[in-house]
Amino acid sequence: CRDCFKALYVHKFRAMLGKNRLIFPGEKVLLAWSGGPSSSSMVWQVLEGLSQDSAKRLRFVPGVVYVDEGAACGQSPEDRAKTLAEVKSVLQNIGFPWHTVALEEVFGLPPAVLQGSAQEPVGTEEAYKSAVDSFLQQQHVLGGEQTHQPHTQDSPGPCSLGRSPTATQTAALCRLFDSVRTLTAKEELLQTLRTHLILHVARVHGYSKVMTGDSCTRLAIKLMTNLALGRGAFLAWDTGFSDERHGDVVVVRPMRDHTLKEVAFYNRLFAVPSIFTPAIDTKAPEKASIHRLMEAFILRLQTQFPSTISTVYRTSEKLVKAPREGRAAGPAGPRCLLCLCALDVDTDDSATAFGAQTSRLSQTLLSTPPAEAGTTTGPGCVAGEGQACCRAACNYVHRKGVQAQVMEQLCYGCRVNMKDLPSLDSLPPYILAEAQLRSQRDWVMPEVQEYLIEDSDSEAEDALVQPPGARLTTQEQGGENTGTGL
Amino acid sequence: MPAPTCASCHTARANLRRPRSGQALCGACFCNAFEAEVLHTVLAGRLLPRGAVVAVGASGGKDSTVLAHVLRALAPQLDISLHLVAVDEGIGGYRDAALAAVRHQAARWELPLTVVAYEDLFGGWTMDAVARSTAGSGRSRSCCTFCGVLRRRALEEGARLVGATHIVTGHNADDMAETVLMNFLRGDAGRLARGGGLGSPGEGGALPRCRPLQLASQKEVVLYAHFRRLHYFSEECVYAPEAFRGHARDLLKRLEAARPSAVLDLVHSAERLALAPTARPPRPGACSRCGALASRALCQACALLDGLNRGLPRLAIGKGRRELELEEAPRRSVPAADALTAF
Amino acid sequence: MAAPLSVEVEFGGGAELLFDGVKKHQVTLPGQEEPWDIRNLLIWIKKNLLKERPELFLQGDSVRPGILVLINDADWELLGELDYQLQDQDSVLFISTLHGG
Repeated sequence: CRDCFKALYVHKFRAMLGKNRLIFPGEKVLLAWSGGPSSSSMVWQVLEGLSQDSAKRLRFVPGVVYVDEGAACGQSPEDRAKTLAEVKSVLQNIGFPWHTVALEEVFGLPPAVLQGSAQEPVGTEEAYKSAVDSFLQQQHVLGGEQTHQPHTQDSPGPCSLGRSPTATQTAALCRLFDSVRTLTAKEELLQTLRTHLILHVARVHGYSKVMTGDSCTRLAIKLMTNLALGRGAFLAWDTGFSDERHGDVVVVRPMRDHTLKEVAFYNRLFAVPSIFTPAIDTKAPEKASIHRLMEAFILRLQTQFPSTISTVYRTSEKLVKAPREGRAAGPAGPRCLLCLCALDVDTDDSATAFGAQTSRLSQTLLSTPPAEAGTTTGPGCVAGEGQACCRAACNYVHRKGVQAQVMEQLCYGCRVNMKDLPSLDSLPPYILAEAQLRSQRDWVMPEVQEYLIEDSDSEAEDALVQPPGARLTTQEQGGENTGTGL
Repeated sequence: MPAPTCASCHTARANLRRPRSGQALCGACFCNAFEAEVLHTVLAGRLLPRGAVVAVGASGGKDSTVLAHVLRALAPQLDISLHLVAVDEGIGGYRDAALAAVRHQAARWELPLTVVAYEDLFGGWTMDAVARSTAGSGRSRSCCTFCGVLRRRALEEGARLVGATHIVTGHNADDMAETVLMNFLRGDAGRLARGGGLGSPGEGGALPRCRPLQLASQKEVVLYAHFRRLHYFSEECVYAPEAFRGHARDLLKRLEAARPSAVLDLVHSAERLALAPTARPPRPGACSRCGALASRALCQACALLDGLNRGLPRLAIGKGRRELELEEAPRRSVPAADALTAF
Repeated sequence: MAAPLSVEVEFGGGAELLFDGVKKHQVTLPGQEEPWDIRNLLIWIKKNLLKERPELFLQGDSVRPGILVLINDADWELLGELDYQLQDQDSVLFISTLHGG
């Protein structure tokens, strides 16, 4: 019945927050609201949670962020203005502090967005307990005032990053998205830029948590999609309850126990307002992207086998946020420039899916039989430059070009996506600037380290210097990460 | 739109575009590259040491045909010797034609061939007899479960028979990609935790197994067979493939159409999946009957055969297996041969 | 107005099973208003050659994913896929990758 459904629905939301104990009392939490049903329902849960009596009251301090993606989704300026007016009226009714930002603003972001914060997220059981205790004490001192608001809160109402986007920025964004060859890569790019923008808003306004409205249905689809996009290493980050990859700002997904069906019912029964905006793939045919294909597949399978989504979801809970056993790259290793996850690439030419695609065997072409493979080209040129250490780092970086600079800073999945961009020059400046910065640093670091410690990668590097013909006929040679699972 | 020139030899007209790199190559350059890549996988993955006696699981189908052909070409460089091992499951009409294809290949390539039959190995049980016995359960899926488990065992026996040190099978990238999709959809965390590599090192006395074609997509395997003019047997088994795998295969083909690298991208995901230690299966022990590697008291093959012999085929799959083992405990181990011939 | 064309249509890899097990078909495509491209050829094949279960060969206006198409031994991806315009004496080969292992 209606009341029981509501009780269950609310319980699920609060239980998800309660059992994970990640949101501290008084903490500023940014609710990422797209206007869609799930995130609207989430905002409503928070709104109701804050108006409860004191025992059950949610104790964090919310704000809402709305990203206007109209330019990337082909909306006309008039339609965008109309949507934005609607958005603002809903936000005004909610009464939380709110931030509306246009996706175009990525063209004004600083490179610092991509520099992971050194600050570890505070999330231990101990810390949580003491925070709750001190909060309760504080409440007690203040006499348990219902209306008490921590002083850190922004005043209700708009606190937009600011200006509406300039025509130049809008044109640049359109040019960028128009240039992407596949809908799959467009969707991924949009998600990447949106995440960076929300991260920036959170940091500027002092939010340490971001809540997204991903439902269990959506997460199951996302998990399978990301699996097909080569993001197997990051599934626990991409779909788990909490995502700590950014350090200072943690993303949490409190709606992950709710199915889309439940969300739709709840929103309908309790008149939760949501706003429809065309997405980047609205009206696209099913086969147009990995995302659409996977969505259609999962939803279809779900009608045939009603346990599909819950099975995928339960399996996802067994994934961990650590590299697979026997795999390199701990949390301290280099991060992907775009998704900010630890790089999951193997050495070139290793006996892995990555090696198969970077292999010079498939890149440079052989007209010769396998035994002489590769001798006609000069694959050692990069390593060869490494020997000529007198050359200046910037010279090296400059010659390598933007494309190579960005690519080598990317994880497997982001590399595959960026291959669908004809040119990376049209990416927002903060990405290119950070790529160049890292590239120069990477150039200097090995030089320094050579004098400090014996490099454990030296064996792999030796293999790179050798002509591939020699490597192919010598059993003992091979990249470091080659013995996969053997 | 005329076909571009081959990006490798720059003379011939290109015949195909490689899914992994997008490069357009002519048939000859593609085949050379394909062989070089398999060689590279074997060397870089350290799959087959020099001097290995390699049993090639041969089914007459495209994958094992291509695998045997490529390894035969690479054998001198790898310093390995090859022996084809085919399994006769005892499926009337289907298997005879497939075995004929294997015999033809063996003769043409001058490779030794050994055929091992379910009927001889498993106390008279052919796959047709198994199917009749499981017909009551009304599910073709259980047929494939039986056949898969028994074939694995049969190949192991056949390989030992010919004195092999290693077993290779023709699984390609598509098989791995399908499997990882299926394991998620079925919630099989144990398999997800174990999968991802190019093979198994041969724990508990089993022969090491590997899949040298695992980084090659189905499409490339088929094109290789085409351009090398290899003949293979391509009829579907009379016992329809498991419906669920059909779903995964269909999805995979659509994904590949939307993004040609999707197959390898899934393989990469499988290589990198990290599961909680609790999701990993317990360290395997030995089967109390035959001594083969087993995660429970009885290995899968013995459990299946036991169920069949007792006229309770369903006992051996799914939850039934646990009940079987509860009974098994006090019975003490019975020598494998006795158990097999008792009925 | 396109003149009649003589083309070789071949099925392999198990796809021939949908065509009575016959692999090679020497066919004549009648003259028609629009030029003969692969899109039209598929419709013609469905009408004239396909014996059973069309869904295992065609999906939408194209071949089922997993069936390779080689035109004069070149992957149709290099030639414009459905839009390739057939020439007299062309050979078109359909190979299923979905059968057996």
